[in-house]
This record gives sequence, C-alpha cells and structure tokens, in this order.
Amino acid sequence: MTVDVQYYVLLSMAVFCIGLFGVLTRRNALLFLMSVELMLNAANINLIAFAFYHGNLTGQLFALFTMALAAAEVAVGLGIILVLYRNFRDIDVTVPTTMRW
Amino acid sequence: MAATATGPFGFAPAIAVLPLVAFVVTLLFGKHLPKKGALPGIIATAGSLLISLVMFVAVGGGNAYHTTLYEWTAGAAASETGADGVAFTFGVLIDPLSALMLVIVSLVALLVHVFSLGYMNAEGETGLPRYYAELGLFTFSMLAFVFADNLLMAFMFFELVGLCSYLLIGFWFRTESAPSAAKKAFLVTRFGDYFFLIGVVAIAATFGTVGFAGEGSFVTAAETAIDDGATLFGFDAQTWVTITGLLVLGGVLGKSAQFPFHTWLPDAMEGPTTVSALIHAATMVAAGVYLVARMFGYYALSPTALSIIAFVGGFTALFAATMGVVKDDVKQVLAYSTISQYGYMMLGLGVGGYVAGVFHLLNHAFFKALLFLGAGAVIVLMHHEQNMWKMGGLKDKAPVTYYTFLAGALALAGIVPFSGFWSKDEVLFDALIIGLEQPVILAAYAMGLVAVFFTGFYTFRMVFLTFHGEPRSETAEDPHPVGWAIKVPLIVLGILATVTGLVNMAPVAKLLNVDITFLEFWLDGEYGYVEGLTYHAYHETVAFEEGVIGGSETTTMLLSAGLSLGLALAGAFTAHTLYNVPEPTRHMQKLGGAYSLLRNNYYQDEYQVWLAQGFTLPLARAADRFDQTVIDGIVNGTSTVSLFSSNWVKRIQTGIVTNYAALLVGGFIALLLVLGYLGGWFA
Amino acid sequence: MMIEILIAVALVGALVTFVAPNRIAGKLAFAISLVPTALSLWLFAAFDGSGNALLDGELAFESQAAWLEIGGYSISWFVGLDGISLPLVVLTAILCTLAIVSSWTPIDERESQFYGLILFIEAMLIGVFSALDFFLWFVFWEAVLIPMYLLIGIWGGPRRKYAAIKFFVYTNVASLVMFGSFVSLVFGLGDSVTSFGLPEIATAMLAGGPEGFFGLSGTTLASLAFIGMFLGFAVKVPVVPFHTWLPDAHVEAPTPASILLAGVLLKMGTYALLRFNFTMFPEQVEAYAVPIAAIAVISVIYGAMLALAQTDLKRIVAYSSVSSMGYVILGLVAYTQFGVGGATFQMVSHGLISGLMFMSVGVIYNATHTRMVTDMSGMADRMPIAVGVLIAGAFGYMGLPLMSGFAAEYFIFFGSFGSELLAYSALFTSLAMFGIVIVAGYLLFALQRTVFGPYNLETDYEVSRAPVHDVASMIVLLGLIITLGVAPDLIFTMITDAIDPIIQGGGL
Repeated sequence: MTVDVQYYVLLSMAVFCIGLFGVLTRRNALLFLMSVELMLNAANINLIAFAFYHGNLTGQLFALFTMALAAAEVAVGLGIILVLYRNFRDIDVTVPTTMRW
Repeated sequence: MAATATGPFGFAPAIAVLPLVAFVVTLLFGKHLPKKGALPGIIATAGSLLISLVMFVAVGGGNAYHTTLYEWTAGAAASETGADGVAFTFGVLIDPLSALMLVIVSLVALLVHVFSLGYMNAEGETGLPRYYAELGLFTFSMLAFVFADNLLMAFMFFELVGLCSYLLIGFWFRTESAPSAAKKAFLVTRFGDYFFLIGVVAIAATFGTVGFAGEGSFVTAAETAIDDGATLFGFDAQTWVTITGLLVLGGVLGKSAQFPFHTWLPDAMEGPTTVSALIHAATMVAAGVYLVARMFGYYALSPTALSIIAFVGGFTALFAATMGVVKDDVKQVLAYSTISQYGYMMLGLGVGGYVAGVFHLLNHAFFKALLFLGAGAVIVLMHHEQNMWKMGGLKDKAPVTYYTFLAGALALAGIVPFSGFWSKDEVLFDALIIGLEQPVILAAYAMGLVAVFFTGFYTFRMVFLTFHGEPRSETAEDPHPVGWAIKVPLIVLGILATVTGLVNMAPVAKLLNVDITFLEFWLDGEYGYVEGLTYHAYHETVAFEEGVIGGSETTTMLLSAGLSLGLALAGAFTAHTLYNVPEPTRHMQKLGGAYSLLRNNYYQDEYQVWLAQGFTLPLARAADRFDQTVIDGIVNGTSTVSLFSSNWVKRIQTGIVTNYAALLVGGFIALLLVLGYLGGWFA
Repeated sequence: MMIEILIAVALVGALVTFVAPNRIAGKLAFAISLVPTALSLWLFAAFDGSGNALLDGELAFESQAAWLEIGGYSISWFVGLDGISLPLVVLTAILCTLAIVSSWTPIDERESQFYGLILFIEAMLIGVFSALDFFLWFVFWEAVLIPMYLLIGIWGGPRRKYAAIKFFVYTNVASLVMFGSFVSLVFGLGDSVTSFGLPEIATAMLAGGPEGFFGLSGTTLASLAFIGMFLGFAVKVPVVPFHTWLPDAHVEAPTPASILLAGVLLKMGTYALLRFNFTMFPEQVEAYAVPIAAIAVISVIYGAMLALAQTDLKRIVAYSSVSSMGYVILGLVAYTQFGVGGATFQMVSHGLISGLMFMSVGVIYNATHTRMVTDMSGMADRMPIAVGVLIAGAFGYMGLPLMSGFAAEYFIFFGSFGSELLAYSALFTSLAMFGIVIVAGYLLFALQRTVFGPYNLETDYEVSRAPVHDVASMIVLLGLIITLGVAPDLIFTMITDAIDPIIQGGGL
C-alpha cells in the first residue's frame, strides 16, 4: 500500500510550521537550533517524498546532502552557543544585540 | 633703397644673445666672479652696443634687415580675412627705428652696468650676482623686444621685461615695501597686458599674421581689409582696427605708465636707483611708446585710436607734472616727471608726429637716465638719504654731479638749446597744427602746454633744493665721495643730453632753410628702410587735417616754440624765487586745498587699492563662502542626507534573531500574496 | 609590446617595493621608476604614429589580444599610442619619478607601502592613457582611484579620512554616471559595433550615431550620453560646480600625492573628454558649445577668485588648477586645431607647472611644517635656490612667455577667439583671458607674503637650505617647462597631427 504524496506534504508542512513557530517564539538558543533542525527535516521529507513520487533519485541525494549540512550546522551552531554562553552567561538569543551596527 | 643684405646684419641676434649669456653665466657662477658678477654684464652690453652701432652704421649705409630666425609654432587656423594658416615666429627687424632704439638701450644699459659698480658694489650690497643676472636678463629681453619683427614676439619680450622689472624692483626683498611695490608694478602692467594679449589674439585671428613689416604684415592686411570694406568679427574693418588697436594700447598704457595705469611707476622707485634709471626711465617704460611707433602704420589707419592716444598723452603729461610739484623725495619727482614725459611722446605719436615722438623718446632716454643716475650719485653722497629737504648746498661739494645733473634738468625743462627743448617743441608744434582743426587734440595740446610750466617748476625746485642753498643736514655738509664708476656715466650722459637735440632742429631748419633735420631723414627712409615703415608712408596714411596760425607755418612754429620756451622759463623762474634761497621753506599754504589732493596723487592709488582690496578681495571671500556653504554644502548635504536616512532605516536591524526571522517570514508571505495577486489567484 | 613592458615594469616594481624593507624603499622605488621614465622617453623618440588613435590613425606601439566575450561584444587587451596620449604617458612617467624623489623627506612611516602604491598608480595611469578598449580603459580608470584613496587616507593630513572618502565617492559616482551613459550608447549603436574597442565605437558614432535604445530615439540617446559622460568627466577635471573635492583632497594629501593628483589625475578627465565627448559627438559638441564654454569661463574666473581668497598655499594651487582646467575646456569646445591642440598642450604644461608648484609648497612645508601664508615671510632669505625656482614656477603659472604655460594659453586663446563652431567666441575668450590677471594677483600676493619681506616663522622650526634632491627635481621640471615654452613644437606638432582628424572627421 502506498501513501498518497499529499499526506507527506501535509506532514512536512506541519513539521515546518512547528519549526517556524519555535524559531519565532523561543528565546533559548538550543530550542532555536532544534527548531531549525525541524525545518530542515521538513524539507527532507518533501525531497524524499517527491523523489519517490517521481521515481528519481536526485531528491534523495539532496536529502543526504541536507543531512550532512544539518550536522555541520549543528556543530557550528553549538559552537556559537557555547561562545554565546561564555560571553553572556546566558543562551537567550535576544540578549546579544551589540553586533548589529 | 629697401635692401635686405645680410652682411653685418647676420650678427643682429647676438645683440640680445650676449646679455642672455651674461645672465646665465652670472646666475650660475656669479659668486665666484670678480666684481660679484658685474663683468659679464659689462662685457656683454659693451658687445651689444658695438653690434648695435654696426647695425646703425649699416642702416645708415642704406640697408635694412628683416628675417625670420626661428619658427615657434605654425598651424592651420582660418582667419577672418581668408588666410587659412598661421605661423608664429621669432624674427629680426632692423630698420631705422629699431637700430636707433638698439643703440639707446644698449648704451644706457652699459652705462648703468658701469654705474652699478659705484652704486651697488662700492656700497657693499648683498645679493649682487642676482642683481647683475637680472640686469642681464632685462637687457636681453628689452633688446629682443626692440628688434622683434612681429607682434607676438614683441608681446613675449614685453612680458619678460615686466618680469625683470618685478624682480629688480623687489631686489631688496627683505623689506616690506619693495616686494609690495614690485607686486603692484607687475599687477598694474599685467592689467594692461590683459588687453594687449586680447589685441594680439584678435589681430592674429583676424588677419592670420602678426608680422610688423612687409607684404605679410597685419598692417598691410588691415589696409586691404579697409579698402575692401570687409566685415571683421561683425564690425566694419575700420572699427575693428580701432578696437584691436585700442586693445594693444592697453599694454602700452600699462608699460609706459600712462593714466590710469601710471600708479605703479612712483612705487617702483623702491628698487635700486640704477634700476630706476635703466628700466623705469630710459628703456622699459619706453617699450610702450616704442610699440606704438613700431606699429604706427596700424594706428595711422584709425584716427579715433590716434586721437585717444593723443588725448591720454596730453592729459597724463599735465596730470603727472602737477603731482611732481609737491614731492619731497628726489626719486619721486623724477618718477612723476617720467610719466609726464611719456605723456608727451604719446601726444606726439597720437597727432601723427612720428618723428617728434621718437625724437622725444631718444632725448628722454638720455636725459632721464642722466637725472636718475645723478639722483643716484646724490643718494650716495647723502648716505642713502632721498629727502630733498635734508639736502642743499651740494653744488660746490660735488661739481661733476651738479653740472651733469643741471644739464639733464635743463633738457627736461625744455630750455634751449638742451635736447629736451627741441623734441618737446616739435611734439607741441605737431599737436598744435592738428589741434587747430580738431578740438580734442587742441585740448590735448593745451594740457601739454600747461604741463611745460609745471615741468620747469618742479625740475628747478628739485635742482635748487638739492644743490643750492645751505646744507640742511649733517650728511649734506660732509657728503660721501663718489668714484669714477659714477662720474664717467654721468659725464657721457651729460654730453648726450646736451647735444642729442641737435640731430633734429626743425625750427632752425625751417628758419634758415637748411637740411639739418637728420632724424626725420633717418626715419623717412633717406638711408636704409623697410617698405611701409617710414615716416613718409605713415604721414600719407594719417587722416588728420593740418592748420596754421596767421597763414604761415613759420609763424605758427615760432609762436609754438616761443610759448613753450616762455612757459618753461616761467616755471624755472618761479622755482628760483621760491626755492633758490639759503633757507628754503615749504610753500604748501599757497596751494590751499589742492596741496593735499596733489600730495595724495589725486587719490589714484586709493581707488586702485580699493579696487584690489576693498572690492576684489571681499568678492573673492564671498565667492569662497558661497563655495564652502552652498556648493560644498550640497555635496556634503548629499552625504548627510544618506547618513541621516540610513540612521532611520538601520533601526529595523534590532540585533534580535527572532525579529529577523519574523521579517523573513512576513516578507515571504507578502511576496507570495503579491505574486499570487498578480498571478490571478484571487480573481 | 613596449607599453606592456612599461606597465609590467611599474607593476612588478610596485610588488617588489611593497615587500622591500622600509629603509631602502625610497631609493629602490626611484631606481625602478627610472626604467619607465627612460622607456617612455625612448617611446617618445621612436614614435612613428600618425593621425588619431580613434579615427583610423597609424598607432604607435599598438598591440591587441582577445580577452573576453560578453553578450555579443568582444573585449580585448588593446593598447596603442597616438600624438595625444604619448606626451601624457611621458608626463606620467616623469612626474612619478619626481614624486618619488620628493617623498624622501616627508614620508617617514610605512615607506615600502607608500612607494609601492606610487608605482602601482603609475602603472594604472599609463594604462589609462594607452588603453583603446573601453573595458580595459575603465578597469585602469577605476584602478587609479584605489591607490590614490589609500595615499590620501593613510599618509594624509588631519582630515584625511573626510578628504579620501569624499574624493573616492565623488569620482566613483561620476564614473558610474559615465559608465552607464557610455554602455547604453554602445547598446544603442546596435549591430554596428561588435566590440568595446574605442576606434570601432568612434567610427560607428561618426558614421551615423545610435539607432535608439530603451525607447529613446537615436539623437536623444546620443545627447543624453554626451551629457552624462560630460558630467562624469567634469567631476574628474574638475569643472565648477563639481570641484569641491579637489581642494580638500589636495590639502590633506601628502605632497607626492598632490603632485600626481594635480599633475596627472586631473588630466585623466580632460583626456577622456577629448577622447570620448569631443571625438565621438561632433554634433552634440556643436549643439552644446555655448553652455560648455560658459562653464569653462566660469571655471576660470570663479576658480581664480576662490584661489584669491585662500591663505593655505596648497588650497591656492588647488583652486588655481580648477582655473587652469577651465582653459582646457575652452580650448576643447573651440574645436579648432589651435584650440584643441592648445588644450592638450595645456594638459602637459599644467601637469609640469602644477607639479612644480606642489613640489615647492612641499619643500616649504617640510622645512616649516606650515602652509599658511600668514605664518611665514622672507623664506627667500633661508632657501634662496628653492625659492628662486618657486618664483620661476609661479611666473610659469601666470603664463610668462617662453614658458610652457604661455604657449598653452596662447594656443587656446588664439584657437578659441576665432572659433567658427562656438558662438560669441571672441567674447568668451576675452572673458576667460581675465584669468591671467587674477592668477597674477593671487600668486604674487602669496609670494609677497611668504618668500619676501623680513624673515619670520610662526612655527618653531629652524629653516635651512632645501635638500639637494628636492631642488634638483624642481630644476628638472623647470627645465622642461622652459624647453616646452621655447620650443612648443617638440610636442605640439604630434598633438595637432592627432587633433586634425577630430576636427575634420566631424565633418563640421
């Protein structure tokens, strides 16, 4: 039995919106990072679903790329958070605003 | 007899080149030379004099010389009269006029160089190599100006003598006054040269040539244009010739210190007296008048221009003479008398009296150089005191100076038989006969005539105050002795001032009916000449009617001569009664209100200084303020506005990541909606 | 190949100097810069070109190589010299060498970088004057800004940041306007051009002009391009009212940068005007002759009046450059052999004379650490030879005959007085000539206050004779000025040879 592609899209949309909601509302940098992961994975779901739908492997390939990218992003992100904590004794993303101008 | 043999004329360029070599040598090695660099200058000017004399003799032998030495540049340029190319060259034109002037200039230059040995070297001045180098450069420029064969070359060297004048007036640059006077001299003459340069450019653009002589000269081209009734730059040819002639005249008025550009010359007396003698009396100031004589054929085409020259000349002669009456400084008196005498030359040339003008130029060069060098000798005697009220009684202590100075004074005042009488009388006679038909020129004549009285007066006031009476200061009682280097030039010039008048005794010639007007023959092409550059040719061109008094030319002449001699004697006699007393006093109350007017030079300096400092400078400052506030304000305003608006716009960058994310999402949604609307989703 | 060698020597020299130790950088840069100078003099001697580079002339030292292909337009490395550009290349090489010499005294930090930048700017300037492909030319044109920005911004005076940014932004915005105008013009020319080679574009312009572009008709496009490019170059020249960056840049720039700025960088503007506006747009030149002449006259008189109000020696010379550049514009718009030729001659002459003036001011500044006229007097007492050369240079600036300034001004005045293209030419010329009175006014005033009078100095420095190398380079310039004044035909014949096709090729 195969699931219709629109359900995958709906799932991906839901995951993306949860991630987006997290990015917009959370102030904790770790949750922030997790929300970003959710959004990336929403994109991955889409890519794989359509790859399956079209019978084309390129989408899956891209999903692999995205995973690797996400891993790198997490590494860098965690590094930033660590430095953030060291400098501000806090991981609230609204606190460090001194670098804007 | 318009021959153009090369022969001795091949050496002509050397006349100017020798002093140039002296300039370079003195400039580079002056410090190491004996006499602090005087010798190269003396040798060079002696060489120039020698070659000039050879030229003079050659012209006397019936030859003339006109050649192009070097092409400065040439090119295509469509002129108004049809020529389609133009060449700007350096050339030599040796004709009676320039040969005469070359002799005058090189002779005076040589004498001044020698005199400088006594005046500058003996007085232990510093910076003498500079002095002699500048003298050399001046002599070079002046001589090259004299033999220039075209207007542009004349202009170039005209400017160069202006530079030398600037440098030499400012010789004592460590004072406050000398640099200021030098600046004023250059600026005032530059103002005149501005018009001159327009004139040169206009003539070149109109006729496609700037040559003085021959078929290719602008004079010939102008004559043709007038005959053809051509239209030049929107004017008829006659008017255009007048306009360009008057533009060139601007430079003449500046250099020859004619009203209203005369104010620089009295200030120029800040320079060493030798410089005053050479540059500001005998030669450079003569450059203006010489230029009028040089291109007389051009002015002869325009009666209007000639009348203006005559009127300015007559006015300046009187105007300057009145100011000379009240001066205390011996050099100042001479300066005003120089202005006045050049006024006479302008008057003479302006009425078509080419011979009279040149004759006065010749005589004036000698007697004024003599008077200035005499004044220099007096200044040495007086330990650099120039105020005549502190002198007196020098007659017996310095007889050579006295008698030579007296010869110069008699010539200046115009007392028969000294040189000045003959030429001044001829100028006034020429003015009178034209004036009888032309009211403007009659007015000019009248002013010139009145000026004769003042000339006699101030000249002898100067002589009496300086040499007669009792000594009025300690230095006057025990003057500093003067050496041979001072006496020899004085004696040479004294003799010349006495006798040069004899070369053109027109009244005597008329009365006795003998051919002794040698200068007239000289300028008229009796000897060598260049076609079209003779008194004869000019006289035919000048369109002035001549009148006589009592129906006889001889009567008119005698009347004129008697009148001017009588006035000169009256002036001298007045000075005698007022000042030839043991203890002379100032007589300023006799002049009443006029005294302060004269002492202040008719406030001419004031208005010119006002023009420079009271008008131009504030205008410049206002322009600067405008530039800084308005123009630069707009430029800076542009950046200020950008900065200001960016200051507002940057506020949306809060630095809070969440806000950025919200903006991103909002922007994306807005973009989606817009695209959707355009794509017709909501239709 | 000669031009490539010239540029390469300067560029490699710049690199070498950049890494050389500070101690020897000055002497090393001088030695290196002698090579381009000697080479350019050799080019001058061996010059065998004729005609105008853009109008079918025989180019000297030409070389061309394909570079890029963009959107149907080929861009190539295309260099060559004609009678207009060669004198400017020689001027650039000589002035750069002298500028290096005149930096020995005042520059005492980051020497290797300073001299490296000067050599770099030399390479770029030679490129500007020899490039014949628009893109290549534009690369050089813009590249000149960077070293000059750094020279002013790093080694400049107290307000150097303001001056450097103003200089950079102002001229860069102008370049943008010019670039936009020119490129739209090229697009407007349509299929008749297939490359950015300037000769090809000039030929197409003279053959009929643009067809139209972006809804604009051909003539409108040509007029707009003409105006846009004129404005773009006018900033560089600079022409009133776009001149205000110049005095600020000059005042803040170190002396050697001022020498190059006044001596060569300003000529980029007039050179470009001649190459683009006055070669490619004969009809627009005729149509806009009167307003351009009016701008020229205003630049002359207004610039001179501004100079009159200054008390800072550098500002005086800076504003007088505005005035002198006005003469160039007047000569160009006259559109006669003497007018345009005189304008080109004035570019060279003003380069030499303003270089000499800035050098002299620099020598005085090095000794006194002030440039204010009111702070000093009687300098002639302490540095007689340097002051003597300064006086000679000042008179050169005033247009004293037998010096190059007079030749240039006379050619321009003579050329513009009888110009047939320009209405009221006699009036415009006479008005512009009044500049020679004002220039004498402010320069003589400045001389009287600073070098004459009793010796006095407000700053606490002991003034002695100027260094030999400074005086020597001043004398070299003075020698060149007098040589060109006595024998203008040394370069004037080759200039007019390149000018003639412009005037005749316009068919006017």
